Amino acid sequence: MASAGSGDEKAAAAAMITLISSDNEKFEVTEATATLSQTIRHMIEDGCTDGGVPLPNVTSKILARVIEYCKKHATAAAGEEGSSSSFSDAAFLEVDRAFLEELEEFDDAFLEVDRATLFDLILAANYLDIKGLLNLTCQKVADSVKGKTPEQIREMYNIVNDLTPEEEAEIRRETQWAFE
Amino acid sequence: MASPPPPELMDELVGEILLRLPPVEPEHLFRAALVCKPWLRILCDPAFGRRYRAFHGGPPLLGLLPMIVVDQGVLGPRIFSNTSIPDFRLPGSDGCQMSPLDCRHSLVLICIYMLGDEGDNYIVWDPIKGDKHDLPAPDIPLSVHSAAVLCAADDCDHLDCHGGPFRVVLMGTLDFVGNIAASVYSSETGVWSAPVAFDSGYEAFVRPGRGTLVGEAIYFTIWKGNAIKYEWGQNFLSMINSPSPGILDTTLMALDDGSLGSADIEGSSLYIWSRKVNSEGAAQWIQFKVVELETIIPGTNSDVKPFVAGFAEGVGVIFIRTDVGLFNIELKSERVRKVDRPKALFGVLSYMSFYTPVQGKQGQLDWLMKCEMAARHKMEIAKYLSKLAGLVLHCYLASHFLYPIVNSDSESWV
Repeated sequence: MASAGSGDEKAAAAAMITLISSDNEKFEVTEATATLSQTIRHMIEDGCTDGGVPLPNVTSKILARVIEYCKKHATAAAGEEGSSSSFSDAAFLEVDRAFLEELEEFDDAFLEVDRATLFDLILAANYLDIKGLLNLTCQKVADSVKGKTPEQIREMYNIVNDLTPEEEAEIRRETQWAFE
Repeated sequence: MASPPPPELMDELVGEILLRLPPVEPEHLFRAALVCKPWLRILCDPAFGRRYRAFHGGPPLLGLLPMIVVDQGVLGPRIFSNTSIPDFRLPGSDGCQMSPLDCRHSLVLICIYMLGDEGDNYIVWDPIKGDKHDLPAPDIPLSVHSAAVLCAADDCDHLDCHGGPFRVVLMGTLDFVGNIAASVYSSETGVWSAPVAFDSGYEAFVRPGRGTLVGEAIYFTIWKGNAIKYEWGQNFLSMINSPSPGILDTTLMALDDGSLGSADIEGSSLYIWSRKVNSEGAAQWIQFKVVELETIIPGTNSDVKPFVAGFAEGVGVIFIRTDVGLFNIELKSERVRKVDRPKALFGVLSYMSFYTPVQGKQGQLDWLMKCEMAARHKMEIAKYLSKLAGLVLHCYLASHFLYPIVNSDSESWV
């Protein structure tokens, strides 16, 4: 297994991992991209990635999006590390800001998906343990919930209202201010 | 083509989403509680409350309490809400005049000026819970005084101090001379401590402004801009000289770097000082920041002197009152925001607390709690039944398969 411990940075960066989606599609990704997922990082550390990493909970459609996110964020992380030694403080800050802006634009565009995909991404980010992606997607849903009535939230996210009309009326009465 | 409906999320992930609703707008959490029972259960779980507070760090500024004497006797002091939550109002008390003295750790301290010769009384009020504690009158002949309230729970992170023990530090001028005395009330013992006194060496009065908490000490300003420090661990009083001698109107504040700060205004410049300990262990005032008020608050009439109306403890926010209104200034960014309410020309106390469905006023959200309890109860019964079923199965299997073996063994031993 190629690893950073071998001392050959290029070999480590070029080490490829195969991810296999639930519908049996194979994705070749660099180790740097794959290890944004803590779940996959642990599998690599345990040497369990020969023959590919099966991800039975993630479809190829969602896995392609997750890989897109990880590639961008892994590149940004590598770029930040590389730039810190070769620029003056001011230039570094400038580059840093440009990186962050670009990353923010990427994240905004990345989140332009339908609600079902957004929820699938949350499930995948949780299963693969990708903290940044989980934070990004959960924040997007939280932002969409803000300012909405309970009815609108239920409709948006296909949630069945299991409160009885009496229970609902009771809570509404107790917290009337929140609905004004 | 219509997009497919979103898949169902586990409670843990719904919690991750709800965690990210902003504490400065508590209404979103209360609305989310009405979406369905699982969401209601998540929001009413005390574990969610703990995670929510840890996720967001310090509590938000929910509202401002003007430091004015309320004398109508019908309605007590009022917190003007910053958000869509209703203003919190303390019920009145027998026609006596009242004035809020301090806000800290989700509690409000109110002084009740008793009629006749009776000494002043104090109330500690938790507006979120609706709790009110009447303190016994302290038996100390203090003239001009001030007091501070703080949480007294051991190892508390002060993110949610509701319902815990508290302390009130009372400091005032003893018998109209330069002696300053302090006494502490503990909610655990229910009594005021024997007063400790300090001779300031001049005719010093404790100014009736807000106390400042930094570390294990409370600071109050006295006449001439100096400060008196009270350390409750040692029950010890000491004096600290003003960073701006000659300026009578200084305001102490807790800075966000954990140091004691002092603010004063000269002309239209706001000077902020920070008390730092140098390498030799001696404490000294260092100029922390100078803010040109005329630049950041346009329209201010230079003939009318602005004044420091208050501060939000430990978050680097100061309130400045000018002739055009009350302004909130973030010291780090110098971002200014005009505060709409309250209008009156007085100092303000900032009320900071989380407000989530699990913390609702007593009675206000009883139903939510009952629903949560019932759901838990059901889950516990289900768990118990499944355990019981497992046990019955185990006994059945054991009696049919295990015991005969044991019996046969024991028989063979006989």
